[in-house]
Amino acid sequence: MSTEVIKVTINGQEFQVSKGARLIDVCREKGFDIPSFCYYADLALQASCRMCLVRIEKMPKLQTSCTIICTDGMVVTTQGEEIEKAQRSMLEFLLANHPLDCPVCDRGGECELQEMAFDWGGLEERFTERKNYHPEKYLSPMVANDPQRCILCKRCTRVCDEWMGEDAIEAGGRGANTVIGTYGGWLDCSQCGNCIEVCPTGTLLDATYRHQARPWELAQTISTCTYCSDGCQMSLGTRSGELMRIVARDRYVNGHNGEFLCVKGRFGHPFVNHEQRIRTPLIRYKKGGKLIPATWDDAIRHVATALDREADTHGRNAIGVVGSPRITNEANYLLYKFAADLVGTENYTATDVFSLKPFFDNLGGAIATHKQIRYARTILLIGGEPEELQPFTGKQIRQAVRNGGARLVVVNSVPIRLIEQAVQFIHIRPGSEDAAVLAIADRTNNALVARKLGVDNAELDSLHQLIAGAEGDLIILFGGELSAAAQAVVAQMPNFLGSGRRRVLLHPLPLFNNSIGVHDMGLMNGGLSATGMLAEAGRAIRAIYIAGSFLPQQLHGREDALSKLDLLVVQELFETTTTAFADVVLPAASFAEVDGTFTNSGGLVQRVRLSIPPVNQAKADWLITAQLAKELGVNLGFEMSASAIFREIAAKIPAYAGLRYPLLKDESNPIQVKHGSVDRRDLAAELREIKVAVDQLPETGGKITVTPEVGHELFKIGTLTDKVPQFHLLAAGNPRPETVRVSPLYQITVDAAVRRQAAMVGD
Amino acid sequence: MFIGAIGCEPLQLRRIHLENSRSLTVYRQNGGYEAIQQVLSSRSPDDVINEVKKSALRGRGGAGFPTGMKWSFVPKDSPKPKYVVCNADESEPGTFKDRYLMERDPHMLIEGILIAAYALGAKINYIYTRGEYKYLIDIMDQALNEARTAGYLGDRILGSNFSCEIHTHTGAGAYICGEETALLSSLEGMRGHPKMKPPFPAVSGLYACPTVVNNVETLTAVPDIMKMGGEAYQKLGTEKSGGTKLWSVSGHVNRPGVYELPMGYDDMEKFIFEDCQGISNGKKLKAVIPGGSSVYIMRADQITGRDVRMDYEGLVAAGSMVGSGGFIVMDETVDVFESTKNLTEFYKHESCGWCTPCREGTDWLVKVFKRISNGGGRPEDAQLMLDLCDNIEGKSFCPLGDAAAWPIQSAIKRFPEDFKKHLAVNGNS
Amino acid sequence: MSTQLTNIQPRSQPVDIGDEVATFSPEVEAEVDRHIAKYPVRRSAILPLMFIVQRERGYLDAPGVAYLARRLSLRITDIWEVATFYSMLHMKPIGKYHIQICKTLSCKIMGEGKITEHVCNRLGINPGETTPDGKFTVSLVECLGSCGTAPMFQINFDYHENLTTERVDQILDSLP
Repeated sequence: MSTEVIKVTINGQEFQVSKGARLIDVCREKGFDIPSFCYYADLALQASCRMCLVRIEKMPKLQTSCTIICTDGMVVTTQGEEIEKAQRSMLEFLLANHPLDCPVCDRGGECELQEMAFDWGGLEERFTERKNYHPEKYLSPMVANDPQRCILCKRCTRVCDEWMGEDAIEAGGRGANTVIGTYGGWLDCSQCGNCIEVCPTGTLLDATYRHQARPWELAQTISTCTYCSDGCQMSLGTRSGELMRIVARDRYVNGHNGEFLCVKGRFGHPFVNHEQRIRTPLIRYKKGGKLIPATWDDAIRHVATALDREADTHGRNAIGVVGSPRITNEANYLLYKFAADLVGTENYTATDVFSLKPFFDNLGGAIATHKQIRYARTILLIGGEPEELQPFTGKQIRQAVRNGGARLVVVNSVPIRLIEQAVQFIHIRPGSEDAAVLAIADRTNNALVARKLGVDNAELDSLHQLIAGAEGDLIILFGGELSAAAQAVVAQMPNFLGSGRRRVLLHPLPLFNNSIGVHDMGLMNGGLSATGMLAEAGRAIRAIYIAGSFLPQQLHGREDALSKLDLLVVQELFETTTTAFADVVLPAASFAEVDGTFTNSGGLVQRVRLSIPPVNQAKADWLITAQLAKELGVNLGFEMSASAIFREIAAKIPAYAGLRYPLLKDESNPIQVKHGSVDRRDLAAELREIKVAVDQLPETGGKITVTPEVGHELFKIGTLTDKVPQFHLLAAGNPRPETVRVSPLYQITVDAAVRRQAAMVGD
Repeated sequence: MFIGAIGCEPLQLRRIHLENSRSLTVYRQNGGYEAIQQVLSSRSPDDVINEVKKSALRGRGGAGFPTGMKWSFVPKDSPKPKYVVCNADESEPGTFKDRYLMERDPHMLIEGILIAAYALGAKINYIYTRGEYKYLIDIMDQALNEARTAGYLGDRILGSNFSCEIHTHTGAGAYICGEETALLSSLEGMRGHPKMKPPFPAVSGLYACPTVVNNVETLTAVPDIMKMGGEAYQKLGTEKSGGTKLWSVSGHVNRPGVYELPMGYDDMEKFIFEDCQGISNGKKLKAVIPGGSSVYIMRADQITGRDVRMDYEGLVAAGSMVGSGGFIVMDETVDVFESTKNLTEFYKHESCGWCTPCREGTDWLVKVFKRISNGGGRPEDAQLMLDLCDNIEGKSFCPLGDAAAWPIQSAIKRFPEDFKKHLAVNGNS
Repeated sequence: MSTQLTNIQPRSQPVDIGDEVATFSPEVEAEVDRHIAKYPVRRSAILPLMFIVQRERGYLDAPGVAYLARRLSLRITDIWEVATFYSMLHMKPIGKYHIQICKTLSCKIMGEGKITEHVCNRLGINPGETTPDGKFTVSLVECLGSCGTAPMFQINFDYHENLTTERVDQILDSLP
């Protein structure tokens, strides 16, 4: 859109408007409301619902304002009898076959058709014929479908195609027999549920939350997702201390992700009120004994005494403090303070899968927000698999290519789904990602690198040309495959690849909701890593105080490490492999029960808000740490609220300088922390190190040629998703049940046998 | 069934009754492939377009858009490939003329497409044929093979720099695919939904490249236009409607068939009662749908004694349209309520379902018709139907909505008695 | 349309479609290749290919749909959304002879009703149904472009025009 200004007259009033603006947006902006169903920002235009008709002078027929680009001197009428009759008639047509289901429809109260009928419809419905019949059914364990309610706005098919690239749900049939569905009638997709979210009627509904509450009974709390590093904003619907559902509908929340959520963010919440949540503090009074419920006072005292004893006996460094990329900045900050200041140990870390310390230590430019990804001109994706691990990032990349004409290059050992959007796919041998980084940084090694990667020289030349010719924003995303040296090189790319015409932005792809935050709070600057501590358990490390649990891949091969510790104190939501070895287990509050912040992969620091009080006797992680500190004689500020901790974070951590909770109040205007950048530096040492490693890589060997199945990461059963019955069905291959019909007598249930089977599937 | 010209020398139909009329030899023996030879050796593409403009040829599929003007919209300097797509999806009820052109004189169509492709710079061209006409696709494929072997298709045609290929393509039973943008959607392999205009196909059509979609009868007129000159062609008809038109006559006439008439033929009454040999079984004329089911139905008294000239302007003045020339004649035994119900079912069945008014409106209208048919008619139903039609007309995504509304609107207005008798409960309606 | 680099892995593959992919003779494959070669974009060949599969398999069954998705580098849902749009494509079994009787205006006023009644009485089924032995399916279809020779019907791809009840009997008797 240009900055040139033109004149448009709407309903007799003259307005100055940007040339190229869309008429429907202009009218709404100027205060003239125009109804629409099929028009949805950043989705392919349809002009099929015909609700947005307006009268434009000199055009013989009424025009859909969603397809009209304003021109100078345009005269538009959006009000008056002619327009109103058209609007009433379209609604009358839509309501003709629409069943009067409001009393039994979950969408009632937040239904766009209801609202449009009230605002724009007529008083009378003249349709007295027989309505078309389609049976109500399930399309998947997450998606319930009543085809009779469908107004064929096709938002669902468009988001499935354009946002997710899956094209799982489509319109079949013709004319009045058109129905939304799929071949075989069972959706074998990533189950993101975006189709449910954007549906303006009760056609597609959340099958996991069916007939459980009415929207007006729910309190809506805006918070940030607890799963991946995308940091999607969501609205938590709670009633009487129970988290009932999570949505991203724009009437409740307007985050940088719009109405997008993935299967985990949307459906992965039943763990919050799950019966298996740890109820009280637990103490194992002697090794090999059982965990016995205790009071908070007893438990805190027990931990404090034990920690004192360990410090006296084995020294401060024998105590390891482990934070989590899952918990809030405030919680992690207090753990860092506890470790560094109170205990005085060098050994603190967090249970993330890979560290981004080398990246941040060498960061030579800015981090790309997700909005910047959407509007980039060129995108380079090295490793990773955003579609499965950071779905919103995957969606932004996909739309950048499809809607924005961006050029995408994928460098990966696996033919991930995003190669469909790529202008070039550099298919490399597994484990050779560092070589690709070497190739970009130093062209002299092209021939060697090409052999190691298993590609032609021409492909690397192509890549160099693409980068050299790139204008506007060039965004480089990278996954966890890169070594520390390679991360450092990538971090410096804004300095040596950027130019006057081209701005290079970076976007790491960490796995967890607060991976960036846990790094920012300093927890990754410690001595031993998580695996390091486990290796040293019983030797250099005698006690571990951990929020969360060690990851399966960290415990792999070291299953008995935890038993060698004198003391293991765990703050957790559920019993895990780690708590099985704990001496003290303290019930922690989940993300839905605390105030705090998460920092996402785009550097946005966003609010986490308490939606229900902590369940059972759980406490916020930061509060537990503060109480423990107090028992050890250090007052971190018992009366501290999370916002007070954040104030200290703002004071102590340069990237967060000047921030306060009130500044983070509006989720539609997120704030990016300022990670600061390192000037261009000589990377000879890192490049040498990479080259040595690359030299060791084989020059023969096969490549992975099969695209992994949808959901191979998304549906994995972890501590949290284990508590969602439908995930077990998905992990077991999403089998189509005998019947998908919905009736009051029959609902899809997860029977115990399927669940047991599902739990045995996989590694 | 009669096939021939009335009121003029047969032009499009002049080879139709020859033995082996579809063979290349017979075509060449009877003036075929002379025009393309002439065009390739001595006319520029712009020349061709100008000649077609002068001819006042208008789209014969139903829309009646001036063909020369349509061709001139194709941007010459666009680097994208251009396409000529022949619309042989003849599905308008009452229309069956393209069928005989393709069946009996396929080379005329090939030559027409060749000249159009030359004028527009199109290398690959398609004949989108309705799926039910499979036997015609086979005939067309054979003719294309003959043409290819004889050097009229392929590389460097007749020794010129012009290379061109034509392929047949099958539809699969969808009237909406006769609408040009829906045809292109279908040709691209998608569901046959119409596309937004603008951009117009001449600028962004097949695969988003400049495309001209023309009806069979439009393209078959082109070789003669080049041979006799545009002006001469135009003079066969009227000032605004040049040349001849094929009318597909069916229904209660003694001699149904395909009639070639000069544009502006004087007049419709003579046509029915003399040329088509009058109403069958000694009945009286009641109604005529002159241009395919989508045009306004006409009462007998709008034809007899009215001197209705059979061209675009004449029919509009008489209260209908030329459309596709699907001329359906109905006698006094026809209940116009039933005939309109029949057509409404057609539109409901063929509605693509994209936009609200057409999809829901045609469904609703059919249900009203059925209820009335089953004896549940109410006096207010006529007004209801008119209002529903009014809510569809002009508000749908493509002209199919209008096409569904017009038959009902015109039928209720012009044959109120036929409706009243179904709706009246006790004589009040 | 997105850039298609390599063969798209069939993702939105419905569960329980089975793994079978239809196979055809070399002649049929050559026919398929000829159709694909006509277009610069592969997907355009979908309708001609669907008719071939329908001819070979009787209707568009699951293995046929899988074949089409493979050959055209499309998803199963793409095949489904196109096939269900068009009247001549069948995703359920259909009789060996599909009698498609034109019911639109010209045929209707020229006696379609009598023909339909006769056909249905003779075969013992209603429009939309198939005879128990799977030999005949009767459908009422819209205008077939044969109004001048009404009433008429189409059996598979063959037109039968100027029908009378006697001619109907002759035609049905002659079908093997």
